Amino acid sequence: MAAQAAYHRQGRPARYRIAAGLVGVVLLVLAVTAVFDYRSFADVPGRALLFGLPVVVFIGLATYLGVEAFDRDPGRRRRHLLLAGGLLTAAILLWLLILDVFVFTQDAGPVVALVCAIACLPTTAFALWVVRRLDRNEKEPWRLVLAAAAWGAIVATSLVILGESLWEEVSVYTLLPGPGLEASTAFSAGLFEELAKGLAVLLLFLAMRDEFDDVVDGIVYGAAVGLGFNFMESIAYMTYLFSIFGDGAGAGAAGVQWYARQVLGLFFGHASYTALIGAGIGIARQLSSRRAQVLAIASGWLIAIAGHFAWDAWLTFFPISHSLFALVEIHLRTFLMDGPFTAMVAVLLLLGLRLEGRALERQLGAEAVSGSGAIMPYEVPVLSSPWQRFLARWRAMDRGAGFREYGRVGRLQNAQLDLAMERWHRERKEIDEPLAAEEALRQRVLRLRRQATP
Amino acid sequence: MAAAGADDVRPLYRTILALGAVALGILLLGGIEFVYFEPLGERTSNQVRIEGVFAYDHQTRQTSGADMDSFSRDQEFAAVVDWSSLPPELVVGANWYDSFGDVVGSAGPAPARELAGQEVVPVAAHSGQERNLPGHYLFVVERYENGQPVEVLGRRIALVKRSG
Repeated sequence: MAAQAAYHRQGRPARYRIAAGLVGVVLLVLAVTAVFDYRSFADVPGRALLFGLPVVVFIGLATYLGVEAFDRDPGRRRRHLLLAGGLLTAAILLWLLILDVFVFTQDAGPVVALVCAIACLPTTAFALWVVRRLDRNEKEPWRLVLAAAAWGAIVATSLVILGESLWEEVSVYTLLPGPGLEASTAFSAGLFEELAKGLAVLLLFLAMRDEFDDVVDGIVYGAAVGLGFNFMESIAYMTYLFSIFGDGAGAGAAGVQWYARQVLGLFFGHASYTALIGAGIGIARQLSSRRAQVLAIASGWLIAIAGHFAWDAWLTFFPISHSLFALVEIHLRTFLMDGPFTAMVAVLLLLGLRLEGRALERQLGAEAVSGSGAIMPYEVPVLSSPWQRFLARWRAMDRGAGFREYGRVGRLQNAQLDLAMERWHRERKEIDEPLAAEEALRQRVLRLRRQATP
Repeated sequence: MAAAGADDVRPLYRTILALGAVALGILLLGGIEFVYFEPLGERTSNQVRIEGVFAYDHQTRQTSGADMDSFSRDQEFAAVVDWSSLPPELVVGANWYDSFGDVVGSAGPAPARELAGQEVVPVAAHSGQERNLPGHYLFVVERYENGQPVEVLGRRIALVKRSG
């Protein structure tokens, strides 16, 4: 929930220790991967991973500083944010440098890698913007959405190398080439990639509970992780195809790959699979029984693995011809094979939005009746509808105060929704320190109300 | 109030459980597919002798030089198989797979004795390409049963380097 209104916690719940443990495991896997790959294969991915470790450390530090800046120490916010931004930038630059120098440069060259990255950036950014807007009532902070995407692009892609490489080595030397081997490889991709991506959503669930409210948030974070992974994978495939087919056909092959992954498949594939993991975790967020939580999380993960597996293993059952009809076939294949999984995400999202909308309306009404002054009775129908909220902001701007007033009313509305969300969680006994948080949010709303005139 | 709220999540919970069941179905199908194409209990003591992978000239249809593991993109190459190392009636075949998993060279399937004149199994360039595509090439000799490969009797991997 509201980062700005977050309260100072008294100690940390046990889930933070679980999150720290998971991060430790991730770092350990990356370290083992780096050393193992470097020694065993003396190949490019091994060296990339060895140099990739500082990137992971930078991102970890940047995330910590970012959380500190918003959550713990407002007095030093600017300094922490600058440091976090610097570290994140350094991490991204270092990672891109690794990609360019060790992975792509020697094959396709740094210019091709850069062109591919630039081509994928606007489409991925657009998709992230759309995904964040799916949460109509309470949008997730950009810093967490971007952190999720960064995990997908950088950490998850690194995490899968060890598992997938070992699996491939064993499979190629033991299995018959053909559908059996393809099924085995598809299972490996589904298992390792969805585990690596889903870890980001699980960590957000454990460590950023205030910003992880329900199934809608889970879908948003999951899709963001998937989009990040898809971004990096697109660059990898585009540069690979360019390098093996050469300048002429290579550019065409890379272009087709870009269209398939960054246009046609942008919201399908990875974004949908990881959104399903997020949905499972988001549903678990609102369940009280530990058994039900585990089942929900496992179900989300399983459907993501199954979706990924189905695409990779059964792609050959939808062959693409060498005629003009191929253009239709490519689209049909994506819709038929990945469409059902994206539809599952859509169904869960709609159910989640409906549930969230009803709950917020109920809580807004209850707060209005309480007479605290944070929410007035006449504001309830406005705050319950995204469109009415927009009109209220627009009217405020239209009164002559411009975008500043638009922003002020927007902040007030967000704070009021945060308060309603907090009440909802308290009612459901889903928060660690309900009363302190709720009162802090209420005071924040009253403060903002004095500044804005809706 | 709290109890009523808890009930709200049930449709979502049931939906995700249903999806979990669908997932198990999909993965089970995958398992069946794997077992069908990778049948258990088909291992025999047969092993083929692959002489090696050599540079190849498609005009003379002759191999030359030493056994090698890597080649340049312009270099033609072929595997040489000693079919006499297998029982004559055993139905076998040999295939070259490129890094996309496409078959780019083959011999058989046929009884081993009928493959006596096909010891050299060359790699052909990927369709539409003048040179070999870079990447790892997998050569396997497989035993067939009812027209389907059921066991790998020997394999080699060759690398086509991107440069050169």
